[in-house]
Amino acid sequence: MALLQVKGLGKIYNTKLGMRQCVALRNVGFEVIEGEFVAIMGASGSGKTTLLNILASLDKPTSGDVLLDGVSFSSIPDRGLSEFRRRHLGFVFQDFNLLDTFSLKDNILLPLVLMQTPVSEMEARLMPIARQLGITQLLNKYPYEVSGGEKQRAAIARAVITDPRILLADEPTGALDSKASASLLSQFSDLHALGKTILMVTHSAMAASYASRVLFISDGSLFSQLYRGDETNRAFFERIVSNLSILGGGDIA
Amino acid sequence: METLHKFFYFRLALSNVRRNKLTYLPYLIATAVMSGVFLLIAGLLFSDSLTNTPSGRTATMMFGFGLVVYALFTFAFMLYINNFLIKRRKREFGLYGILGLDKRNIGRVLLWENLFVMGGGLACGVVIALVFGRLLFLALIQLIHAVPGSSFSLAPVAYALLFGLFFVIFFVTSVANLVRVHTANPIVLLSSEKRGEKDKKGLLPLAVLGLVLLGGAYYFAWTIDIPGLALGVFFPLAIVVILATYLLFLCGSIVVLRLLRLKKSLYYKPDHFVTISGMFHRMRQNARGLATICILSTMLVVTVSGTLSLYLGREEMTRSMYPFDAQVYVPDDATEEQIVAYDAALQSLAAENNVTLSADKSKLITELPEGEEYRRNNFVWTDSAFVGVPTLIFFDGSFRFDIAGTEADCVSFIQAIRDHYASSFSETPNLIVSDFYTAREEGYGFYGGLLFLGAFFAILFLAVAVLILYFKQITEGYEDKERFSILQQVGMDDRQVRHTINRQVLWVFFLPLGATALHMVFASRIMARMLRSFMLYDWSLVLCCIGGTLLVFAFLYFGIYRLTSRTYYRIVKR
Repeated sequence: MALLQVKGLGKIYNTKLGMRQCVALRNVGFEVIEGEFVAIMGASGSGKTTLLNILASLDKPTSGDVLLDGVSFSSIPDRGLSEFRRRHLGFVFQDFNLLDTFSLKDNILLPLVLMQTPVSEMEARLMPIARQLGITQLLNKYPYEVSGGEKQRAAIARAVITDPRILLADEPTGALDSKASASLLSQFSDLHALGKTILMVTHSAMAASYASRVLFISDGSLFSQLYRGDETNRAFFERIVSNLSILGGGDIA
Repeated sequence: METLHKFFYFRLALSNVRRNKLTYLPYLIATAVMSGVFLLIAGLLFSDSLTNTPSGRTATMMFGFGLVVYALFTFAFMLYINNFLIKRRKREFGLYGILGLDKRNIGRVLLWENLFVMGGGLACGVVIALVFGRLLFLALIQLIHAVPGSSFSLAPVAYALLFGLFFVIFFVTSVANLVRVHTANPIVLLSSEKRGEKDKKGLLPLAVLGLVLLGGAYYFAWTIDIPGLALGVFFPLAIVVILATYLLFLCGSIVVLRLLRLKKSLYYKPDHFVTISGMFHRMRQNARGLATICILSTMLVVTVSGTLSLYLGREEMTRSMYPFDAQVYVPDDATEEQIVAYDAALQSLAAENNVTLSADKSKLITELPEGEEYRRNNFVWTDSAFVGVPTLIFFDGSFRFDIAGTEADCVSFIQAIRDHYASSFSETPNLIVSDFYTAREEGYGFYGGLLFLGAFFAILFLAVAVLILYFKQITEGYEDKERFSILQQVGMDDRQVRHTINRQVLWVFFLPLGATALHMVFASRIMARMLRSFMLYDWSLVLCCIGGTLLVFAFLYFGIYRLTSRTYYRIVKR
């Protein structure tokens, strides 16, 4: 059974005046197998952020359903959603969403604290992850004292410290320069190699070329998908770009 | 072109005020309250109908003094609030700079904004004074027992003083704003708001110093025994307490939170984790505001409870200053015959006015030492017996006696002995006859006026405290909104979020109130001692006044808390 099943998702927004309806998603369906690194590509306004918000259980679809490990999101009561999110999903956001009131260490530990994990276990979990992401030296700094790339690595650490079933990333390289982006994406590759399931939304072909599969979304519908197979990043990148030119959107960088 | 420009600044300023109404409206209201109260005090000070009565005269004197102090406070507070607001808008100014408005232009916009808000506030203040002036005038007359004279009207002088004061405030705040805009560059302005603070070092010694100062001040306040000394020491102690309060709020709070953070088993609990770090962040930014609120609250409670004690205890104070209903001093060169004649005159005047006179020697505070005697002319007075002493004369050469009869009769009797004095003794009377009734009337004027002023100051302190609280709630609301949405994304549920917000708001709110209550516990002792030098010996009265004022204030504070936190929740929940 696939880890994540997305079935016929539709999302319709009512505009403020209530007269016009805006279709953000139209019958989107796909599956993600355990250990996959999937990128969802699309131009801005194509519905990819809406899709991610629904997958993150932060938003509800108008039609269709999402199942994680066979558990339907719609079957979880509202009050259980936060806990579900905490236990099974990890998030990485474009603008990091770290809290200025916490040091990096406390930011990373936040989900564990919310889960009432004992202090000893928290520290045991923290160290290997921090080492892997290369932020051991920065743990006692505050978000405003470190660079964007470092912030994003802390955000990844926060996302994976709960050992979530799937890691959701929303434009994780959007606020980073190309060097920091490359280093961040190789962290993602490493996590992927360790067997993590990653679903990343991006409009950057460079970011997408690190994935094992790329889904293209346009005007709220799934348009096409590409599998990497045995290709190198470079070759896969070329293919993504040529596919994008058919789609007529997205950035090369 | 030039006219277009002027129009442009005007419009930009107007839209700024409208857009920032969440901060400007309270500022305007505070200006209105402060100017309204100032106008009322000035109006009462220069009111003809008040100066015509004896108690009114004493009250007017108080108002004169009060007006000066009030003007100073208003000036300081307006500067503080202006500074507080302008600091918050640095980012906006930076943006203007980048959009191409130069500093002169920004200054111009600010000038207009200042003019709008202050002009609006002043106009509202005048309306407040006109609406409440009559009402307050009637209340004051009741309070100071003045005979109602002609109707109350605000004298032109009062307006002139008000506009003078606010012109100075407008001028100084405008200059301060211009200087602030001129000395900063856009990039610094733009980034100044987001800059986080680093952990400061060397806070521990300062926190300890604050603790020592506060402990010392509390110790002195509690142990000082001599009323005169208490009076002299109260204001220096108050300054030490203010300093200590700032130190403890600014440094002590951080030190305590740091210690809490070090205790991992406590810190890493869902409830404490977010609260402690939130408080940490907040105290670094808002400790000064909280300390100011605490000090304003303490000043308010001290002022109101002090003046209330004096007003309620005025009868007792007057009585202890005038143990006898009346006292007539006899000139040093008075002959025996004159004294005997005046004694007889007193008796006959008493009969004429339907009052009876009596004297109780035991009321005299000074007792003659055992076995000694006191001679005055040919009268000899010893501890046990009077020899040749007229009926009512006592000890140090003055007539002292109590008067029994209706109050009106007593008062007219006193007027009669005053009139008679000159014909009995060759000297003209000058403070020769002093009596309880006149003193009591004056007491009404003095203590009533004082209480009135106390209430005015309370309004001022409260207005400023509310304003600071309100601004804090708004700015924190916007900051916390972002934080809580992140927390929700990370998996904190609604219930936890609400719980955490409540906890934080409660702490931040009740910390100043708690500190105020603690200050008052220790202040109560020194206040009671101090009031003794005003001859107010009634401990329980003073304690009741302090307790009552604190209680009423706490209710008021709670009401304000409910109101302003509603704004906060609205911002965070959105």
